Amino acid sequence: MRKNPSKKKRAASVKAKQRANLSFRMNILFFSIFLLFSMLILRLGYMQIVKGEDYVRELARTDEVTVNSSVPRGRIYDRQGRVLVDNEPKNAITYTKLQSTTTKDMLDVANKLAKLIKMDTKPITDRDKRDFWITLNKEKAYAKVSEKEQQDINNAPDLEQKEKQAKLDQLVRDRITNDELRELTKKDLQVLAIYRLMAAGYYLSPQIIKSDNVTNKEFAIVSENLSKLPGVNTTTDWARVKKSALSILGSTTTPREGIPKNLVDYYLARDYSRNDRVGKSYIEQQYEEILQGQKAVVKNATNGKGQVVDTETTSEGSPGKELILTIDSELQESVDKIVEEQLLFAKSQGGSSLLDRAFLVMMNPNTGEVLSMVGKKLETDDKGKMTVNDYAIGTFTSAYEVGSVIKPATLLTGYSLNAITPNDVFIDEPIKIAGTQPKKSIFNPSGSIPMDGLTALERSSNVYMFKTAMKIAGVNYVPNAGLRVTLEDFTKIRNSYAQFGLGVKTGIDLPGEFEGFKGNETISGKLLDLVIGQYDTFTPLQLAQFVSTIANGGKRIQPHLAKEIREPSVDGKTLGPIVTELGPTILNTIDNSKTEIDYVKNGMHRVYFGSQGTGASYFRDAKFDAAGKTGTAEAVYYGPNKSAYGTQTLSITHVGYAPYDNPEIAYAVVVPWVTTGTNYTAINNIIARKAVDKYFEIQKKNTEKAKQKVGEKIQKPITKEQIDEEDAQKIDAQ
Amino acid sequence: MNTNKKFSDRFDWTLAFIMLLFCIISVTAIASAQTSGQYAANYVTKQLFWYFIGACIMGAMMYFEPDQYKKMSWYLYGAGILLLALLLIAPGGVGQIAEPRNGAKSWFHLPVGDIQPSEFMKTFFILALARMVSKHHEKYSMRSLKTDFMLLGKIFGVLLIPLAFIMQQPDLGSALVFFAITAATVIVAGISWKIILPIAGSAAALGAGLLWMALYMQDFLQHKLGFSPYQFARIYSWLDPYSYASSDGYHLISSLNAIGSGEIFGKGFQGREVYVPENHTDFVFSVIGEEYGFIGASAVICLFFFLIFHLTKLTLQMKDPFCTYVCAGIIAMITFHVLENIGMTIQLLPITGIPLPFISYGGSSMMGNALALGLVFSMKFHHRTYMFGNHDEDEEFL
Repeated sequence: MRKNPSKKKRAASVKAKQRANLSFRMNILFFSIFLLFSMLILRLGYMQIVKGEDYVRELARTDEVTVNSSVPRGRIYDRQGRVLVDNEPKNAITYTKLQSTTTKDMLDVANKLAKLIKMDTKPITDRDKRDFWITLNKEKAYAKVSEKEQQDINNAPDLEQKEKQAKLDQLVRDRITNDELRELTKKDLQVLAIYRLMAAGYYLSPQIIKSDNVTNKEFAIVSENLSKLPGVNTTTDWARVKKSALSILGSTTTPREGIPKNLVDYYLARDYSRNDRVGKSYIEQQYEEILQGQKAVVKNATNGKGQVVDTETTSEGSPGKELILTIDSELQESVDKIVEEQLLFAKSQGGSSLLDRAFLVMMNPNTGEVLSMVGKKLETDDKGKMTVNDYAIGTFTSAYEVGSVIKPATLLTGYSLNAITPNDVFIDEPIKIAGTQPKKSIFNPSGSIPMDGLTALERSSNVYMFKTAMKIAGVNYVPNAGLRVTLEDFTKIRNSYAQFGLGVKTGIDLPGEFEGFKGNETISGKLLDLVIGQYDTFTPLQLAQFVSTIANGGKRIQPHLAKEIREPSVDGKTLGPIVTELGPTILNTIDNSKTEIDYVKNGMHRVYFGSQGTGASYFRDAKFDAAGKTGTAEAVYYGPNKSAYGTQTLSITHVGYAPYDNPEIAYAVVVPWVTTGTNYTAINNIIARKAVDKYFEIQKKNTEKAKQKVGEKIQKPITKEQIDEEDAQKIDAQ
Repeated sequence: MNTNKKFSDRFDWTLAFIMLLFCIISVTAIASAQTSGQYAANYVTKQLFWYFIGACIMGAMMYFEPDQYKKMSWYLYGAGILLLALLLIAPGGVGQIAEPRNGAKSWFHLPVGDIQPSEFMKTFFILALARMVSKHHEKYSMRSLKTDFMLLGKIFGVLLIPLAFIMQQPDLGSALVFFAITAATVIVAGISWKIILPIAGSAAALGAGLLWMALYMQDFLQHKLGFSPYQFARIYSWLDPYSYASSDGYHLISSLNAIGSGEIFGKGFQGREVYVPENHTDFVFSVIGEEYGFIGASAVICLFFFLIFHLTKLTLQMKDPFCTYVCAGIIAMITFHVLENIGMTIQLLPITGIPLPFISYGGSSMMGNALALGLVFSMKFHHRTYMFGNHDEDEEFL
């Protein structure tokens, strides 16, 4: 028994010791916790009391946000200072939202504004209406979705908070009945038309609410009430107005389209905004950087709450630079009319079922300035009515077999490769090569006519060219035998053509230029086709560059449409000072002596004025001296009419330059697929002759005018009606 | 047995009052947090609902005696592990029951709401640990270094299983909570300082070493030890948020701006100006700091401290070692949550996804904490009963 209590006691004392130990340890734990919590409070005190002001300042610190506002885009003029593309100022009402702007703020402003202006409600979509209905009837709208469904959406495991809200909204939208949508009054729709645009804007970036048809009254009333309409402003917007139908001027995107989707990164990297209007085709695209101008930059300082506390204009911005084109719009309109008339005339003839287009390019062979660029295309609209549309872009984006017009290039190629020399005489006779149809000149179906290069050009001898090609290939002609030609022979000739700009890019200052197709067969017959322009295809602009190269004595010159870049006009009456003048660019020089070139020029002169010249009947009576070359190509049709693919057609072409001695213009005409038969009116030659006549007529008029005029005045755009009128007067006078 | 005392005497009114205060604070803060209109749901009513559920849990738990919990503890622990295992193997595809959120597969997405098993596991872990330690002491009444090492081994065994599952999710925050609970239990379990101090010392050294390496030896950590770059980013954005302001540091900076600009008195109810993401859940303290300033924020910390104080006092009253260990575990759990959550909003600790107990919005967190406090309520409620049971021994000693 004695042991028992002592054991108990010992156990108890152990327990007591343990208890004491436990409370000691609990105290340690508690004390550590006390220390840790004190640390929290100390840190809070440091942050909120010692550094509190710093944080308050940090919140008040302003973030600067740069906002670009639009400036007018540069205008485009023709070489005489006639406006081709203009900007029209438009009154505009804008709205700028801030980060702190709430939906309610916007609705308030939209309600007030709707009383002052009338909006077009057509662009409002069904979705807009449904969203707006939800905004107006929030409780009723969300009551459409039962508690359970809301819960289901909220518990959907795979959705972010935002997605959940979107899903809920979608459900509500779907359940709004058409009757309920009809509850939206006309007034509501007016508010909605404004509200939807407000909501679509970017923060701090003025969003145009109305810019079309803002009446003076609306503009004035809104301007008076600006103080009651926070965020609203009245300003001037610019509309791009084309004063010419010329397709190469291109077009710009609208602010709604913004920068093209495929070039977003390109433009954003250059400080454009997403809703900027940019050139999307041809001249407008090519000279985007010049025309765009420098936007005014306004820095909005915002505080930590997103309110604008200060606005500072850091750069005033400047309108886009103005572009003077090399095009003479009077000449352009006049020759445009000529081409159109001739095209329609040819279309009225038999065998013209596939004829749908004609081109004329006229340029200065010394400077590369493109004076006119005409492309006309016949198209049938939905109602079956035929219309003539501008297709000037086709002059460098489409290529055709051009026929004999390239013969001057063939001769010069023969000379430069030392295969033949000027004055070499070959016999024009049908060429018979094993396995192919006999190949011959049109004027000589069966005879044997010896001729030199001059006559070969004058009469357009195919056989002279064939024999030149054989010399180049280093093969002898043996009737009825095969011809051994190699790929290298094709390459040699094509390389030489390229010196003239044939089959290579001309370098025109427009996007989307096409080089033409190169045939890939290398049989001997194709080599013969190549040298008479019936194999590879070339663009009308390439022809113009090629004839310019001959006209100017061997320099391949880059054609260009921009003549000068000028500062914006100060007074709107005279052109601004010149920034850059775009001079001639020589791309390369051909490998021929002056004698060789002059020899070919002489041959081309005989085309117009020789007794047997192919163009003589059209040019013999001309008051000017000139040289040229006509062409007819047997072309297999691969045009827009797919059902007619493979049809044998004739394409007719013409190149030339004038005056002969001191050329001012070089021109090329292409009329593809003029007939599916063999008879046709040579509208290629008619167009060429009429166009050159027109050029000299206008030239004469301009020289007289230039004497009277001092300074560089901005002219009114020339209209088709004016040209028609002048022509009518002339006919009357006769 | 407990008929001799009235209900009102046995009920822990203080604890209930503290809960009521937390409820008011929580609802007020959440009401302010959602004024940015960023959420579709109204979290105030939802949080009130969770408080109701929490109250029900605590009420229900009072009906069981601590002895019953003691018996149940291993089963509860097993159930918790089962849940964690289920979570691990549950389909985690898009739209499926255990789809990962923020890169962690920690939730069951059930029709009633998202359930985070690790929140419940914390309480079950505390129970199991307490049961294990008390059983050990019953068996080895005479302590020696050897028994202490044995105990330590067992404790780590119990820790290791849930920890392995939680690190798989991965959820570093919750894992640290388990460490905190373990640490507190180890201290309270009476393990010799000769063991605790070297372990604590080397743990501290390891932590400091890792931090130093994260700053100066990233390559080694990344390639030799298999840490991922995002873990470094968390450290850097904590130490220097302004250099990472556009990404990781943004959350911290907005939280600092919010709390700092609250100054002494705060901006008043719903006077919040700074938008802090997740400010109704993990960053709810930034709302309190901004709207009620140093005074309000300190008051909330003091309230937590008062809760800890109350729990500590209770712990010392408990006669059954099991209850002592449970209370210590709960204290550690709450302390760590508060410290880490508030610490991360004021740049004292790096950001982890740990809610502020009783204040952050969240069903799992509320229920997990309610389970823990339910145990405390139960112990207090049935306290007298086993004072009788131990009466003879104690009286003799006294």
